[in-house]
Amino acid sequence: MTTTPTQLAVAAEEKGSPLNGGGPTSARRVIHTMRRSPAVLFSAGFIVLIALMAIFAPLLVQLSGWGPYEYDANAVNPDLGGLPHGSLGGIGADHWLGVEPQSGRDIFARIAYGGRVSLSIAVSATLLTTFIGVVLGTVAGFFGGVADQIISRLMDFLMAFPSLIFMIALLSALPAGNRPVLLVLVLSVFGWPYMARVIRGQSMSIKNREFVEAAYASGASKLQIVFREVLPNLTGTIIVMCTLSVPGYIGTEAGLSFLGVGVTPPTASWGQMIAAAVPWYATDPMFFMVPGTFLFLTVLSFTVFGDHLSKAIDTGEAR
Amino acid sequence: MVSYFLRRLFSVAVILFFVSFLTFVIFFQLSPDPAVMICGKTCTPERIEQIREQLGVNQPFLTQFFTFLGGIFAGRSYGAGEAAIHCAAPCLGFSFQTSQSVMDMIVSRLPVSITIAAGAAVLWLLIGVSAGLISAIKSGTWWDKGAMMFALGGISLPNYFIALVLQYVLVVQLQILPFPSTPDFAEDPLFWFQSYIMPWSVLAFGYASMYARLTRANVLDTLGENFMRTARAKGLPPLLVLRRHALRPSLTPIVTLFGMDFAGLLGGALITETVFGLNGVGKLAADSIGKNDQPVIMGVTLMAALFVVVANVVVDLLYAFLDPRVRIKA
Amino acid sequence: MKTRNLVLGVVLAASLALTACGGGTKGDGGDGADSDVPQKGGTLSVLLNADYSHLDPAMGFDGGVNNFYRLIYRTLTTNSTESGKTSEMVPDLATDLGTPSDGGKTWTFTLKDGLKFEDGTPITSKEVKFGVSRVFDPAQGIGSPYAKTLLDDGSGYQGPYIDKGKDFAAISTPDEKTVVFHLNQPYADFASVVGQNSFVPFPLGTGGGTAFDAKPIASGPYKVESYNRGSELTLIRNTNWSESTDAVRLAYPDSFEFTFGLDGATIDERMLADQSGDKNAISGGSLQPANVSRVQTPQIQDRAVKTTAVCTTYMGLNTTKENLSDPRVRQAINYAVDKSSLLTAAGGSQLATVANTIMVPSLLGRKDFNLYPSTDNKGDVEKAKALLAEAGLPDGFEMVIDTRGQPKMTALSEGIQQALAKVGIKVTLNVIDSSTFYEVIGTRSQQHDAAITGWCPDWASGATFLPPLFDGANIADKGNSNLAQIDDPAVNQQIKDIAAMTDVDAANAAYGELDEKIMELAPVVPLLYENGLQLTGSNIGESITGFNGGIDLVTVGLVKPGK
Repeated sequence: MTTTPTQLAVAAEEKGSPLNGGGPTSARRVIHTMRRSPAVLFSAGFIVLIALMAIFAPLLVQLSGWGPYEYDANAVNPDLGGLPHGSLGGIGADHWLGVEPQSGRDIFARIAYGGRVSLSIAVSATLLTTFIGVVLGTVAGFFGGVADQIISRLMDFLMAFPSLIFMIALLSALPAGNRPVLLVLVLSVFGWPYMARVIRGQSMSIKNREFVEAAYASGASKLQIVFREVLPNLTGTIIVMCTLSVPGYIGTEAGLSFLGVGVTPPTASWGQMIAAAVPWYATDPMFFMVPGTFLFLTVLSFTVFGDHLSKAIDTGEAR
Repeated sequence: MVSYFLRRLFSVAVILFFVSFLTFVIFFQLSPDPAVMICGKTCTPERIEQIREQLGVNQPFLTQFFTFLGGIFAGRSYGAGEAAIHCAAPCLGFSFQTSQSVMDMIVSRLPVSITIAAGAAVLWLLIGVSAGLISAIKSGTWWDKGAMMFALGGISLPNYFIALVLQYVLVVQLQILPFPSTPDFAEDPLFWFQSYIMPWSVLAFGYASMYARLTRANVLDTLGENFMRTARAKGLPPLLVLRRHALRPSLTPIVTLFGMDFAGLLGGALITETVFGLNGVGKLAADSIGKNDQPVIMGVTLMAALFVVVANVVVDLLYAFLDPRVRIKA
Repeated sequence: MKTRNLVLGVVLAASLALTACGGGTKGDGGDGADSDVPQKGGTLSVLLNADYSHLDPAMGFDGGVNNFYRLIYRTLTTNSTESGKTSEMVPDLATDLGTPSDGGKTWTFTLKDGLKFEDGTPITSKEVKFGVSRVFDPAQGIGSPYAKTLLDDGSGYQGPYIDKGKDFAAISTPDEKTVVFHLNQPYADFASVVGQNSFVPFPLGTGGGTAFDAKPIASGPYKVESYNRGSELTLIRNTNWSESTDAVRLAYPDSFEFTFGLDGATIDERMLADQSGDKNAISGGSLQPANVSRVQTPQIQDRAVKTTAVCTTYMGLNTTKENLSDPRVRQAINYAVDKSSLLTAAGGSQLATVANTIMVPSLLGRKDFNLYPSTDNKGDVEKAKALLAEAGLPDGFEMVIDTRGQPKMTALSEGIQQALAKVGIKVTLNVIDSSTFYEVIGTRSQQHDAAITGWCPDWASGATFLPPLFDGANIADKGNSNLAQIDDPAVNQQIKDIAAMTDVDAANAAYGELDEKIMELAPVVPLLYENGLQLTGSNIGESITGFNGGIDLVTVGLVKPGK
């Protein structure tokens, strides 16, 4: 369960050393390197597929004929405790990925709608942590002094914190309210230090480069230097960290939902679907296989993509 | 060294104070009225008031917080007279839903969590670090590619998913293993091992993958550094170079991470314990969340915080011992 | 002649088949015909998810603990253990069901001879009185409320621990064997009241604070040997209990071992596997719906006990709300709800039956009827729409249903949401935390249009079912159980009339009729009667399902105690 924070820590660790290259890497060169790898093509393809599925969920559901909340009593057997009819959890022409036991709700529809929830939470949390992380990281690294002291202590505190159990405690105590927003906020509060630490380290090293000193000499203000010289040099790192955070947040959101502190039913989310499937593991294995596979492939795709992106940018810069 | 140690100890106290304060604020502000929960089916407003009085939840916030802190060090009583419930120090609170002291509940569940954490830790350290080392040495070979692909799967597979797949395949389909339980080792060693092997493997798979990736990256990093090039240029065989020069700097970050991860698990492997139905601290937390038994959630949170924070200090001290530079910095 | 013979032949064949069936369920594979008859001795284990609420009978008050109490406690009367008669009360500590006088305001009971507590001290009328007086203690009397409401003499008595010197005047003890109750109102069915947990006797002066929660003093066939709250409880025989004084408890095993804190799934897996020690075990709770389909082989089916439903799961419709004040709208909702889908959501036909009456089938005098029928209980959309149109709401309306954040309740409310959408009623679910649910829906200012909840009787009479839920006099701002807030003069009057009846059987039958009358007004939608499906180990003999639901613990035993 603690996978995610440490996973971020590992990402941060792996990206820990400041980049050695000069100017920003050419995006074209990176894309060129990336396009040659079949693993990247597959993972990018899958990400696009999932994103499209999430975006067009309402349309897809019209096509498949079953909404995410519609009960289908004919698809389940009331005499067997509500087990889906058919051997593969009710998979068939009517329900493409089978049905939920007892209610007979369509799993395809719930996967599509659940993907919306999972992806939007993960992407929002990534954007928010990136924003906080980059701002505080550059402030700490570039300006130093008291600001650096305060921000660094705060980061130390948050990173030494048993964040996962605390997230759970916090979410369980918070009133129902708007769960997705709460999830994004809670994930971000504990997620930003990992981004900020890397940014801080890198901006500290960039601060002393010749081109920054040259910019000073030509009379640029500190803010101008941050926006014109420091941030462009950090783009590669930020993009890589972002790509690697998304699967982390997807996993954590699923984990929190799995433990019952995520989005509230009837809203579907992948983690919650797997949690609902736990008691059925022996009688209806497809019920956990389907959302589990989607979750796995999505996280895997983002990780593979992030790994390769990181490598491509590194080698590009080393050249 | 002593002053360093004292300073670290002080920071532990500060962090723990903040953690308990934050936790208390959250639960004080947001949790439903415990008096209502205790009052039960045949409840009257007067009775609720009476229970509030007994629990002290009608006191101002700070008073309650310090009563709570006092309970940890000196124990406390809920209510007065014959109906009073005494909670001995260290009192982390009292669960009125189960009529048990939170501390007792945690302590009785701890052995299971420790067994799970320790077994998994042995597995993941052995497999993760050695796989990472071999991959780094044989960087670019099929072994490296295969191991890293495996590790990629490991970090992407949610552990509850692996747990369910394993349980379905091994318990239901092949019937190699029994449905896990938490027997005493002394009573039935075989059943004990059969019960824990799945949770160990599930936890270890994820962590081992991470550690393998990290070890590989670190070793490759170190091997690329200048002093290593010099060492190799001196004509030392690669394995010796690794052992003499690369191992220590590459493994120190692992020690940090391991301390944190292991301590985190002592506070309960929530998901693994839940899926396998093992009565550890994590399952206690998960169940309490389901029942909204706030004192227990709070107690487990604080306990987990204690483990992690203490592990941090232990790791730092270990670091200072392993790496002289840290001592100077401090 | 020919035809007659044929008919006779068919009847014979059918009866033979029946006998064969009966033998089949009893036999367990060549062990002989009596392999299902429990024997004395051995240790029986019970696997449970949660610990019992309280071992102190003044405090505990739910089906599970009521069942458990009978192992260690006795009351003046109690539910019968005779098959098919478990709803009826029989004498326990008392020699009969009591003698009323003064128009039902005074009740006299005589105690049997040879009654003793676990420490050998005799149980006399004084100990019975002391036991009852305990429930007046404000901290302890949180269980069954009947003793408190009927025996309150207005003196403000606060129980034997606070009001130490004061005499509890509502009970007098003219001699060691006679207990006289002086009620504050006539009560015909007092024989059922004295079977409540609040009537357990205790030695004078014992049980202050939470003493009995840790170490109870037994009057029943078993006593507590060791208790580790939340994990295990061991009962052993109470040697001072004499079988000759007890016609109810069969008390087969020599000891009981309760294990608490087990995961529902773990219990199911262990019971399904039936390995070594679990052969002598029963599951304390019901099988999870997910595992119902695993009870298919005859071996496992033979070990599954379908227990009777105790409670009615229903949806209360708040009649003070604008649209719901019109009975036609409430009737429309009764027609619209698809109870078959709710049945599946609650675990299917093995774990529930569709409810059409307010009272559960186990109640005496209960009448079976269905005022809002539909094909296969799938709901009658046409009739519902017609009624809505008649009420001036042809396009439906919006309503908010209060429900609990617990999987089954969520599933039920989502099912209702789906069904009502078909008649144009747009339902918003207000999910309330389980721990505060009852408080919220019981507070008039906080309850919404409807709430999904359940009601269980305290004994087998409509008296503990209809008045709390439908008497206008019971509407309260807080702690309200009349969720519909229905205040119908005719209903109120009838409740009053039935309460005044002196013939208990006639009163019970009258409640059955009242049930139908209330359903005409449709203040609630009865949804389901949920039963249990308990698994027993292969060495467990036949048992009785008690009135409290579940295998009656005082009737269960091992077939081969030596194993």
